[in-house]
Amino acid sequence: MTSKTAQWLERSRRKRSDRLAALEDEMERRMPARYARRRPRRVLAGAGAVTLGLLWVDAAVSWVIAPSDTAVIVNLVVLGVLVAVGLPLATQLVALTRGLTAKRARELDERQLTARLRAFATAHRASTVVIAAVLLVTMAADRDGRESQIPGAALFLILFALLVTHIFLPLIVATWQMTDPPIEDDEDRP
Amino acid sequence: MDKETVYNRITVLRAERGVSRRDLAAALGVHYQTVGYLERGEYSPSLHLALRIADYFEVPVEVVFSLKPFPRIGGTP
Repeated sequence: MTSKTAQWLERSRRKRSDRLAALEDEMERRMPARYARRRPRRVLAGAGAVTLGLLWVDAAVSWVIAPSDTAVIVNLVVLGVLVAVGLPLATQLVALTRGLTAKRARELDERQLTARLRAFATAHRASTVVIAAVLLVTMAADRDGRESQIPGAALFLILFALLVTHIFLPLIVATWQMTDPPIEDDEDRP
Repeated sequence: MDKETVYNRITVLRAERGVSRRDLAAALGVHYQTVGYLERGEYSPSLHLALRIADYFEVPVEVVFSLKPFPRIGGTP
């Protein structure tokens, strides 16, 4: 690596670090005080899990009734709920965990890295259970052998639900596992 | 109590030197909440971090960390 590239990389890292620090102070300021307690945090994590579950329900509904107008309506309703509820929820989860699952490893300290590893390990186990359950359910549901007809929409929605679960489950688990943050000293407030 | 608990005197040393959590965290290169978790005994640091904390306060590591509870100031020795 040339010295110019190294300098540019270093500058870029410093800028990103400054931006993240400013963002974190802002998130700290805006974070509702209730999330310092475990119960509201877990309610939020539970809401995230229910939203993920909605995607699986959508896939199951499509499997059973697609192609049909009802399936299209169900899909649109779920999509609407995901945009209206899922996106703000995901934003809150990211803010609450301070981007624990999204930041680069060098931007986390050893405690945060341990917490992230724990969240990823639990989410990995949960994803394994979800994939195994999907496998069993599809095997049980597909009884027609070579004659079986699986709606393309259902196949797409199952893969989409798997992808979203894979991305967001660690975030939900990290929120669930969070411990109460320490009370700040007066001089610690930004 | 967890048998792996590591007791520490970070709060006392910090108060004695008039250092805020954020200042200590910046000096150690950790998140300021990590200092809070350390003080509450909810996180036991790696050997490297423990040595850096001791180095920051310019005391031997056993002055900051112990496997047994530290005696209270003014308590019986």
